[in-house]
Amino acid sequence: MIREVDIVVKFNSFTYLISEGIKNVLKNKKASMASLVTMICAMIMFGVFFVLGENANHVVEQVSSSQGIEVFIVNEATDEEINKLESDIWSLGDKIATVTFVSKQEALESMKEQLGSDSDLLDIYEGDNNIFPASFIVTLSDLSYSAEVEQQIWEMDNVKDITSSDQTIDTLIKIANGVKIAIGVIFVFLIIIAITIISNTIKLSVHARRKEISIMKYVGATNGFIRGPFIIEGILIGIVSSALTLLILGTGYDIIIEKIGNSSVLQVMGIQLLQFSDMLQVITIVFLALGIGIGVIGSSISMKKYLEV
Amino acid sequence: MIEFKNVSKIYVTGTEAVHNATFTIEKGEFAFLVGTSGSGKSTLIKLILKEEEASRGNIIINGKDITYLRQKRVPYLRRSMGVVFQDFRLLPDKTVYDNVAFAMHIVRATPKHIRRQVPMVLSLVGLSNKAKMYPNELSGGEQQRVALARALVNNPSMIIADEPTGNLDPETAWDIMNLLNEINARGTTVVMATHAKDIVNKMKKRVIQIDKGVIIRDDKRGGYSSEV
Ligand SMILES: Nc1ncnc2c1ncn2[C@@H]1O[C@H](COP(=O)(O)OP(=O)(O)OP(=O)(O)O)[C@@H](O)[C@H]1O
Ligand SMILES: [Mg+2]
Repeated sequence: MIREVDIVVKFNSFTYLISEGIKNVLKNKKASMASLVTMICAMIMFGVFFVLGENANHVVEQVSSSQGIEVFIVNEATDEEINKLESDIWSLGDKIATVTFVSKQEALESMKEQLGSDSDLLDIYEGDNNIFPASFIVTLSDLSYSAEVEQQIWEMDNVKDITSSDQTIDTLIKIANGVKIAIGVIFVFLIIIAITIISNTIKLSVHARRKEISIMKYVGATNGFIRGPFIIEGILIGIVSSALTLLILGTGYDIIIEKIGNSSVLQVMGIQLLQFSDMLQVITIVFLALGIGIGVIGSSISMKKYLEV
Repeated sequence: MIEFKNVSKIYVTGTEAVHNATFTIEKGEFAFLVGTSGSGKSTLIKLILKEEEASRGNIIINGKDITYLRQKRVPYLRRSMGVVFQDFRLLPDKTVYDNVAFAMHIVRATPKHIRRQVPMVLSLVGLSNKAKMYPNELSGGEQQRVALARALVNNPSMIIADEPTGNLDPETAWDIMNLLNEINARGTTVVMATHAKDIVNKMKKRVIQIDKGVIIRDDKRGGYSSEV
C-alpha cells in the first residue's frame, strides 16, 4: 500500500520533535510554500534596505575621513596664539579626530599645485606678500558633530573664517539617516508580517492535526510536548526562508556590485562599496534570530486555543 | 480510587448535567454508569478526566483532591488513567504498533521500555499479528482493542471508558467486556458508562444509575435497571 510520508519515529525525543516538525511542513505543503514565499519577499525587502544602509554608512565614513572643516586663522596671530587655538580645538574631546596645521606657505603651494601650468601667476604672492591665510584642517570622528563643532570653534580667538563641511556630505548623512529609519520601520513590519504568516500557517497545521492533539491530551501529553513539533515547524519555515533569502540577496548583490562597484564615478571619488561577505554575519544573525524567534512566538500564538482541552 | 463529594456541574448554557453527586469507587472495583441519553454519564466521566471543571463539590482521585488542580498538572493526572471512547479515536496514519507506542512516547518512556511493553499489551488484547496494520484495515472490535491496548500501555491505575461497546455488534462487544474484566481482575479499576443492558445484567458488577444528573441508584451487584 502506498502511504503518506511515514518517517519511522525512532522514539527519541529530539528526533521525534524534528521529524514531527518536518512532517507538519510536508503535510501542510501549500500553506508552508505560501508562507515561505511571503517570508522571503519580506526578508528580501528588509535585506535590500539593510544593504543600502550599510553601504550608505560605509560611504559616509569614507568621505568624512577624507573631508574636514577648514579653520582659517587671522593673519596677525602669533605662533603662541596659533598653538593655543590648536589646543582649544583638541579640548573639544572625542569629537575631534585629527587637527592638521597648514601654514601660509603650504596654503600658497597647494594653490599653485591646483593651478598647474599657470602657477607662476601666484609668484607675486611669495614671501611677505602671501595673502593666503594659515589654517587648521580638523577632521571629526563623526560627521554629525560638524555643526556643533563649527559653532564651538567660531567662539574661539583668532578664527578668521570656517569653511563648513561639504554639501554633499550633508546630503549623504541625510540619506544614511533616512535609510536607517526605513530599516527600522521595515524591520518592525517584517516582524509583524512574519508573525502573522507563520502563526497562520501553523494554525492550519494545528487544525489538520487537531484530532491527534486531542488524543495526545487524553493520554496525558503536556502542552509543551504537544507544542514542540509546531514550534519546530515555525522554526523550519524561518530557517529555510532565511537561507533562501541570503542566497538570493547575496547573488543579486554580487551581480550589482560588479556592475556599479567599478564605475568611474565611484573610483574617482575613491569610494569602495561593501562586499556581501562584509555584511553576511550580521544579516545571518538577524535572519536566524528572526526565524527562530518568530517560529516560537507564531506557533505559541496559534496553539493557544487548541491546548485548552 | 475515585471519590465525588456533592459534585454538581452546570454548563455555561445553564444545563445542570450533574446534580449533587456523591459516591466512592474503590481501587480495583468495576463500576457501570447507566442512565438514559442525556442523563449526565459523559459529563461524570469528563469530570473525572478533568476535561470539565466541577461547578460545586470536590473530586478526589487516588487520594488527591483535583478540584483545584492547576491546568498544568492535568496531563499528569491523566497518566494515571487509561481512556477508551465509543469512536476508538485512533490515528489513521499510524500503524497499530505506533498508535500504542505513541502513548508511551508522550510520557517520555525509554525506547527500550517501549520495545518491551508494546508487544506485551498487544498480545494481551490479542493483536500481536496485526501490529503492522493501519486502523482502516481493522474491524471495529479490533480497533477498539487497539484503543484498549493504548489505554493500558502506561499501566494506569484505572480505565475510564465511555460507551466502549457502543459501535460494536453484541458478540464483539463481549470480547471487549471480557478483556476489561480480565484487566480488572489484575487489579485495575474500571469505570464504564454504557447503554448495553444485556452486558450490565450479565456482568453483575456495581451499577451507578443517573437520571437527569441525579444519582438515583447505586447497587453493589446490580442490573441495568432496578427491576432486574
Ligand atoms: N459541553 C456542553 N455544553 C452544554 N451542555 C452540555 C455539554 N455537554 C453535555 N451537555 C448537556 O448535559 C446533559 C448531559 O449530557 P451527557 O453528555 O453527560 O449525557 P450522557 O448521559 O452521556 O448521554 P448519552 O447517553 O447520550 O451519551 C445533556 O443535557 C447535554 O445536552
Ligand atoms: Mg455520553
